[in-house]
Amino acid sequence: MLGWVLFAIVVGYGVARVAVGHPRPDRRFARLARGEAAFLAAAAEANFPPGGDIMASGFDAGIPAYVDRLLEVLRPRTRLQMRMLFFLVEHATLFFPAPGRGGFRRFSSLRPEQRVAVLEAWERSRFWQRRFVFASLRAILTLGYFAHTPVLRQLGLAPLAIESPVCEADLLYPRIGALPESIPYTRDDLSEPSDGTPLALDGPLDPRYAEGAP
Amino acid sequence: MSALPTGDLRVFAQYERDFTEDVDVAVVGSGPGGAVVAKELTDAGKRVALLEEGPPFTPADFELDGALSMARTMREGGLRATRGTVMPTMQAIALGGGSLVNSAICNRAPDFVLDDWCTQFELEHTTRRDLDPHYDAVGKFLGIAPTPENVLGQRNLLFKRGCDALGYASEPTERNVRGCRGSGECFTGCRTRAKQSLDLTYVPAALRGGASVLTSVRVERVVAEGGRVRGVAGRVVAPFTGRPSHRFRVNARAVVLAAGCMATPVILQKSGNLVNRSGQVGENLQFHPGVAMMGVFRDEVTPQFGATQGYQSRHFLRDGFKLETLWAPPAVLAVRLPGYGESLKRRLAMIPHAAIWDAIASCNRSIGRVRARARGLDPNLSWRLHPQDLRILAQALWTLSEIFFAAGADSIVPGVYGIPEEIHSRAEAEVLRTRPLEVSDIVIGGNHAFCTTRMHGDPRRGVVDEYGKCHDVENLWIADTGVFPRCPSVNPMWTGMALAHRTAQALAERL
Repeated sequence: MLGWVLFAIVVGYGVARVAVGHPRPDRRFARLARGEAAFLAAAAEANFPPGGDIMASGFDAGIPAYVDRLLEVLRPRTRLQMRMLFFLVEHATLFFPAPGRGGFRRFSSLRPEQRVAVLEAWERSRFWQRRFVFASLRAILTLGYFAHTPVLRQLGLAPLAIESPVCEADLLYPRIGALPESIPYTRDDLSEPSDGTPLALDGPLDPRYAEGAP
Repeated sequence: MSALPTGDLRVFAQYERDFTEDVDVAVVGSGPGGAVVAKELTDAGKRVALLEEGPPFTPADFELDGALSMARTMREGGLRATRGTVMPTMQAIALGGGSLVNSAICNRAPDFVLDDWCTQFELEHTTRRDLDPHYDAVGKFLGIAPTPENVLGQRNLLFKRGCDALGYASEPTERNVRGCRGSGECFTGCRTRAKQSLDLTYVPAALRGGASVLTSVRVERVVAEGGRVRGVAGRVVAPFTGRPSHRFRVNARAVVLAAGCMATPVILQKSGNLVNRSGQVGENLQFHPGVAMMGVFRDEVTPQFGATQGYQSRHFLRDGFKLETLWAPPAVLAVRLPGYGESLKRRLAMIPHAAIWDAIASCNRSIGRVRARARGLDPNLSWRLHPQDLRILAQALWTLSEIFFAAGADSIVPGVYGIPEEIHSRAEAEVLRTRPLEVSDIVIGGNHAFCTTRMHGDPRRGVVDEYGKCHDVENLWIADTGVFPRCPSVNPMWTGMALAHRTAQALAERL
């Protein structure tokens, strides 16, 4: 009986270390669980700290919301792989601790300097599998960081406004999911194709990237 | 302006029930192979159904964010990778196939490649002289021409400067583009409609000739009876989610598989291991593995402006690699930069002063295979980089570093494990030449894929003959890069289209 009690305590403790106690996120996510959102927020802040050459931090960039959107459009198998990646890095420190006191905690529960040390260990590992995991995580975070339009605007890399000429194909294809009857063009709308005039880099930004865009 | 198409285009929202079609030829896949075949066969007066699993994209459907764009236009969300040597690789899922989201590079296969194909694979009619008329026909239709100087931009011109300084031959890339404005958006869909992707060119032409173009239909198997192919069958699938709904069957006198070299073998394997007496279906998988490097210049490069891959060097083709300029959505480029925290932010801030160039390698010794999974049509890819081919990639990296410093770069970011993250001189870059590399030290991408249904003059050693007809079955043809006997050493689209053009003519004569 005592053995069962001890076993239940150990299992309960393990479950608590893995699944309980994540902070409540400030918004609802379609796909991300509370723990995943906490992990992504912590990893984003460690990867893109405030200050430095680009003003926005990982926190400012709202990376968990971006990843949530990305998960929405991925097929189930790919989505599962991505979530397994988050789970792995979040909980690896329960077995391979971060340096300093309290290192045997989930990644998202570590102190900021411990998180940085953990990332460094993953990136510089002599095992390519660990480096691969780190590179995959950093790639996802970086994609989210660059989806934050102020980052692209600061670097001068935000896409410019481009008016697409109406060509023959535009009379054939409706927008994805719509019926052909919804095609807004007729033959009269056909326009001259691009004449090859180079884009002016000081031209207006695409509305999705302009200052004040949602 | 030409007459508007009279054929039948169907999109996902129009399918309301199971259906059956009867045509002369069912063409599976609307990429550079299938679309060319469909157009040429309709021109020859055949009734054609062109079947595509992806949807047509309009400019309003283009997503400028790199990852979201890939998630919508690429199979497996753009996150497909090989096993063995882990290497990301991609395959588009859209009307027009990869041409919608590639950088429109067009190269004829070099003479030495075609000579090698003929000699090693017992081919008699695949010489330069045999293929040039087909290259010419496709080139004329798509307006393939060198990238104009006014849209090269600094990123491309710096590459030219570096090559010139070292005496390496280089040239503006030939592309299927008319009226490029240098937006650098080839990979997310050309908003200027300058790229002559297949959905804007060959597919409308096929429709004009009376073809049926069925989008959002996934061909799951080839129907064969009595030693002949009778058609194809599959399901209607929702865009992006791939959720299957209605069933369909297309009865045809002949079938052309042009689903891409990673999907065609899967369809054959799911069809009872069809046309595999040679045992070569799904074997011999080759890629052009690629490496990239960033160079940082004192002056601003404004790398976002200019033709995406507007300049190239074929100087080292016989050494096994080709060099190119590169641009992609900044987020996609940024994921290759090393570091984290402050150092990563500093490197990201360098991008406006940076140029990114890449190399693709002919890795003929690195072979893999494609296998069908138990469920679904996504392939199981295994592939391993051969140590001698790794040496080609290492030499390519060293050569890129040379060109960067010859072009005046202050530093390079090679992205190789075990050497400095930033290198500031050509002398320092020697480490790229002297340090032995492991496969896991470098980040490689699996560009282009070939050979999984290769052509061979001997039916015991290949799946198709040099016209694309399957050796084992009279009325089943293949028209994608799977038929290449070996990697072509240069970007494969034009060669794939030229071979497809020839396949269509041969098939039209036999029907």
